[in-house]
Amino acid sequence: MNFKRDISTRTYSGFALSALLVLTILNVMLQNIPAHIERAGDQLLALNAQEGVANAVTSVVVYFRGFDTLGEIAVLFIAALGIGLMLSEHTKDPHHEESSFILQKASKLLFPIIMLFGVYVMIYGHLSPGGGFQGGVIIASGVLLLLISDQNFEVPHAVISALETFAGISYVLIGLIGLLVMDKFLGNFLPHDVSEMGMLLSGGIIPLVYIVVGVKVGSEMSLIVQNLLKRSEDV
Amino acid sequence: MFETFISYLNQDATIQAMVDIGSMALFFIGLFGLLTHRHILRIFISVSIMEFAIFLFFIGNTFDKTFTAPILGDGHVAFVAMNDPIPHALVLTAIVIGMAVFALGVSFAIEYYKLTGRTDINDMNEMSES
Amino acid sequence: MSSIYFVALPLLFGFATPLLGKLGKNGIAYVSTLMQVALFILALSLLLSTSWSVEVISIAPPLGISFVLNKASLFFVTLFTFMMMLFSFYYLDLRKSDPYAHEGKFFILLNMLLASSIGLVLSSDIFNIYVFFEIAGLSAYILSAYKKTPKALEAGLKYLVTGMMASVFLLLAITFIYIHLGSLNLAVLSESFNTLPYNIKVLISVFLLIGFGFKVEIFPLNFWVTDVYEGSSSPVNALFSSIVVKAYLFVFFHILYLFMPDSEFGTFLIYLGALSMLVAEIVALKQTNLKRVFAYSSLGQVGFIFAVMASENPSAVTAAFFIILAHSVAKMMIFLSITSIEREHQSVEIETLKELNSPFIKVMMILAMLSLLGIPLFAGFIGKFLALKDFAVNSAYVVVVVIVIASLIESIYYFKIAGNLFYKGEKSKGEKSKGKKREKLTLTLMQKAVFTVLALVLLLVGIAPWLFSGFISEASQVMLDSTTYATTLMGGLK
Repeated sequence: MNFKRDISTRTYSGFALSALLVLTILNVMLQNIPAHIERAGDQLLALNAQEGVANAVTSVVVYFRGFDTLGEIAVLFIAALGIGLMLSEHTKDPHHEESSFILQKASKLLFPIIMLFGVYVMIYGHLSPGGGFQGGVIIASGVLLLLISDQNFEVPHAVISALETFAGISYVLIGLIGLLVMDKFLGNFLPHDVSEMGMLLSGGIIPLVYIVVGVKVGSEMSLIVQNLLKRSEDV
Repeated sequence: MFETFISYLNQDATIQAMVDIGSMALFFIGLFGLLTHRHILRIFISVSIMEFAIFLFFIGNTFDKTFTAPILGDGHVAFVAMNDPIPHALVLTAIVIGMAVFALGVSFAIEYYKLTGRTDINDMNEMSES
Repeated sequence: MSSIYFVALPLLFGFATPLLGKLGKNGIAYVSTLMQVALFILALSLLLSTSWSVEVISIAPPLGISFVLNKASLFFVTLFTFMMMLFSFYYLDLRKSDPYAHEGKFFILLNMLLASSIGLVLSSDIFNIYVFFEIAGLSAYILSAYKKTPKALEAGLKYLVTGMMASVFLLLAITFIYIHLGSLNLAVLSESFNTLPYNIKVLISVFLLIGFGFKVEIFPLNFWVTDVYEGSSSPVNALFSSIVVKAYLFVFFHILYLFMPDSEFGTFLIYLGALSMLVAEIVALKQTNLKRVFAYSSLGQVGFIFAVMASENPSAVTAAFFIILAHSVAKMMIFLSITSIEREHQSVEIETLKELNSPFIKVMMILAMLSLLGIPLFAGFIGKFLALKDFAVNSAYVVVVVIVIASLIESIYYFKIAGNLFYKGEKSKGEKSKGKKREKLTLTLMQKAVFTVLALVLLLVGIAPWLFSGFISEASQVMLDSTTYATTLMGGLK
């Protein structure tokens, strides 16, 4: 067998460049292993004991850095819009084989369970690891299961679109209400007693925002998944 | 002998070094792939690998193994001796953003392939050469 | 009036567009244009109240994110809303003859572009800057590939891949910053950045330079610009030149002034900018495509702005702000003219200009080019003059020579273009026998009004710069003033 191939100069230069960068970074990092310094996260943990919820990561994502989450929602929204724009003329694959009986029935059986799990992860995001993004992706994976196992399943576009619009508007409106009531955009204007930490209804707007985020992410990911599964006639 | 090896591995400095070297090796794979591959989808995958290497590097370097996860439960009732929640939040956001850009890029590539049948970036020269 | 509205309102509009689509075909267009006007009026009203304003989001800085509105960021916010408002008015008439498909999506992308550019300028938290960086990038990629022709898709793909690389390096920089300094707030970072060991500072600076360098279009990371400009449609080019690249310039230098005031890194950046300008102008000489020529001209001007802003002294930054204003207005005029030319003649070669039969567009293009060259009485002159004076005062003679050479080269190809505009030459025999004169290129009244406003701004800044120089020099002082920035944010001034 002939193992010797022509390795182009592009490969050599790519290898050299990457190795140079990585070795520089490693060199610098290994010389300066950071001692345990006081970072902003520790102060946020202390603040979380008064203002946040049981899951500190959720309170950071939704409340302390909620504006980044709003931006991330905007990114997903624009990406779903772009994918819909690019792949809008494709249709579902006409030559796809019919799935077997077991696959069809089993996936229809599994779908409500996956949905329920997704909704659970979304709603309990402030008490256990999870949250809007995670729950939304779980819901989208349920939709994906149905899309690839059942030929005739189509995500109902109008419903999903309406859900997505409603969720997006409500996130910005929650922020604006915070601005009007508390003079801080995305301020926590619902009651959030420290004594309630660990209960389902704690943390003020945090579970509300995360549910809104979950609905939006779930609907957008379902739309993206459906668009990417389409095929054009010639491809 | 074995115990001293394990205790050597358990030192903070060794763990830091392993995290750094491991994530940078992954970053190297991604960067090498980005610079040498010609198929557009492989370029996207390489960038994705680079991004995940950075997330690994980030969380690994802000991690203290004597502390626990920043969430109440399993008997914890106070927010003390917990790891930093900010890197987790940042990586959550960055993962979603990276995935969104990747999906968009794939859709561009699909549409381009449908219109011209090309996926090799050296063949993408619709524009007049400068 | 809170500065959050600049970001929240376009975002709300974007999310609510499917609802607004129910208001009829023109509903989205009119609501969007109305919102741009409202935002511009808001920006103008904020110009009168002069002090710093810190908008707190969720929790107080330095633990939380906040928007800082000072004279420097207000200058850019006003510029962006003004440019977007004029673009909306121009597009309102363009859509009657040449609309973009699925128009609701086009307006969403326009507004997201505006919201993210303003967010980049106002934000005081480095990860928030990264999120806005991505929003602006995504909107730009889709706007680039909007027409779905192979050229447009290739432009979109190239833009996307380089954008991905830029975000990887920016993410690396943020990672290093958080690991070693423990905070994401620009004020806290500006105070503690100097405590870092030398090689980590260098590494972070290099990553920030590469990450922003792709978007700020500095040599050698600007290989993607001309292909993307050529492949995208011309109105989108106007937005890229006028709004997007200026936002990235502001953010990069904002971070530079906060982290590393008066360092040798700044001197390196001056030479990098000058080199970028020279290379761009030289390559522009052999272009035959109008869009590519003006893309290279943009690269040259942006390199110039980069070199001037890297000088880090108040008079230089004042000059840079003047150049930014002049360049945004002039490039908006040029690319909107190219839109009309392209619509009429279906080609954007320089040769096409010979057949142009619209005195209005010819005058507009000549005015814009005169301003870009820096001829006195036009807006470009004051910026260039102040910049060259500042370099000469600081004995950076090499840079002065490079800039003068680059400007001379620029004038060569502008005169070539102008020559084609004035072409009254011989027609070939074939055309004479047909005896048909080219139809006059029609522009609607609104489009002519947009061009006139832009031209008036150019002339106003050129003839009477003292009207603007007070505000602009205060803005430049404010931008360089990192200590006040730090204390304001830490104190949470409202």
